[in-house]
Amino acid sequence: MGTLGRAFYAVGFWIRETGQALDRLGSRLQGSYVFQEQLSRHRTLMNLFDKAPVVDKNAFVAPSASLTGEVYVGPSSSIWYGCVLRGDVNSVSIGSGTNIQDNSLVHVAKSNLAGKVLPTLIGDNVTVGHSAVLHGCTVEDEAFVGMGATLLDGVVVEKHAMVAAGALVRPDTRIPSGEVWGGNPAKFLRKLKDDEIAFISQSAANYASLAQVHAAENAKDFDKVELEKVLRKKSATQDGEYDLNLGVGGEAPPELNTNAPKAS
Amino acid sequence: MATIARLSRRLLPRTLSTSLPGRAFSAEAAQSAENPSPPAPIIRESPDRVKWDYRGQRKIIPLGQWAPKIAVDAYVAPNVVLAGQVVVYDGASVWNGAVLRGDLNKISIGFCSNVQERCVVHAAWSSPTGLPAETLIERFVTVGAYSLLRSCTIEPECIIGQHSILMEGSLVETHSILEAGSVVPPGRRIPSGELWAGNPAKFVRALTHEETLEIPKLAVAINDLSRSYCPEFLPYSTIYLEVEKLKKSFGISI
Repeated sequence: MGTLGRAFYAVGFWIRETGQALDRLGSRLQGSYVFQEQLSRHRTLMNLFDKAPVVDKNAFVAPSASLTGEVYVGPSSSIWYGCVLRGDVNSVSIGSGTNIQDNSLVHVAKSNLAGKVLPTLIGDNVTVGHSAVLHGCTVEDEAFVGMGATLLDGVVVEKHAMVAAGALVRPDTRIPSGEVWGGNPAKFLRKLKDDEIAFISQSAANYASLAQVHAAENAKDFDKVELEKVLRKKSATQDGEYDLNLGVGGEAPPELNTNAPKAS
Repeated sequence: MATIARLSRRLLPRTLSTSLPGRAFSAEAAQSAENPSPPAPIIRESPDRVKWDYRGQRKIIPLGQWAPKIAVDAYVAPNVVLAGQVVVYDGASVWNGAVLRGDLNKISIGFCSNVQERCVVHAAWSSPTGLPAETLIERFVTVGAYSLLRSCTIEPECIIGQHSILMEGSLVETHSILEAGSVVPPGRRIPSGELWAGNPAKFVRALTHEETLEIPKLAVAINDLSRSYCPEFLPYSTIYLEVEKLKKSFGISI
């Protein structure tokens, strides 16, 4: 770095210093409403003294999920954004190829009224939909828990069983294999067809591959993310649909809209 | 006494603790007896966990060629996750804890619409109706907190109540209201100007003209509210100050 470089660096430093001084002045003017950002203290995997989560290296855990205490996640399982898996008073174990979708909550109970110990066990290739709540229950292999379903203490979902979306399953209910239960409280709705059973394992497989894409993207470090941002900005083009949705400009002129099929 | 027990457990090798779930499963299989499941796979921990742990969540996650787009005057809360093909149009607002995941199909949040706290919006690969499986939320739509939307279409000027669930291929036509906690089964169409509620959703009554006029007003009110949130965020976060302070205290040159 030559003399010129040093001079530039010094000038840059002055500008930044002035900027910070201005920032402090602005904060002073805002009085007690000023906000100073701290580094995020969120921890994806958190241990409680000796109870530490164990996650397989091929599993995907979203950075905004939080796994606390005794939580075991098997290979190629995926824990999506905003999930909370809390194994504090008991253990939570998740098999392989299972997906726990966004904003779900998995918790355990120390014991229920009958004194039964209730860890949460989730088997292999299970699909748990968005925002589901699983509390001290057992979900066997290739079961399906729909969006927004709530499974209370001691519930057992057998292999190939399905809990419909928005269902609330009362404590100590056993959902037999190949049946669909739904409603509040959950009742037997119908038997599953063979293709629907096939769909459950298919959906788990789809999610496992989708998780790989998300895992790769989330594991990128800061420099790579910034580089890609620059590359993306370079190749950015005007989106004709954007104006259309705003209701301005109507249809994009045909010479701009190159990738759309020609109107006959 | 309990502390000693815990300490002794801690001293045990990790391999023993990793085989715990396997044992728990085999016990479970013995209970159900008729279909004994194979023993659970042994979990091997990643050696470079630090690389993805302790780093926090990015708001915008591009997947492949698809990057989420946010209009300049839309408000998206800092702990929202937008992944894949997501477009948030002007004046729209997405509130804290929501997850919009357009990894399989497109998601768009139209002008002046709002998606409230801890909603999940997702798009499936295909829809049972045979129509495109994209999730389309049009203009002046209010989606209440904790709602779950999957590959559904919501036409302009609707209200989706809190905690409601819309499954694949459902269609909410213009000027209609879904009450809180309703569950719309796959492929169900909610006709224009009606109020639906329940699990599964059922027709309650037709809306009056005055009520339909109130729907866009609610969306505009929430849009106004989001205007007051926007200026609270500086164009760049002040987190670098903290990092520089830490680096200085550790004697690392900046």
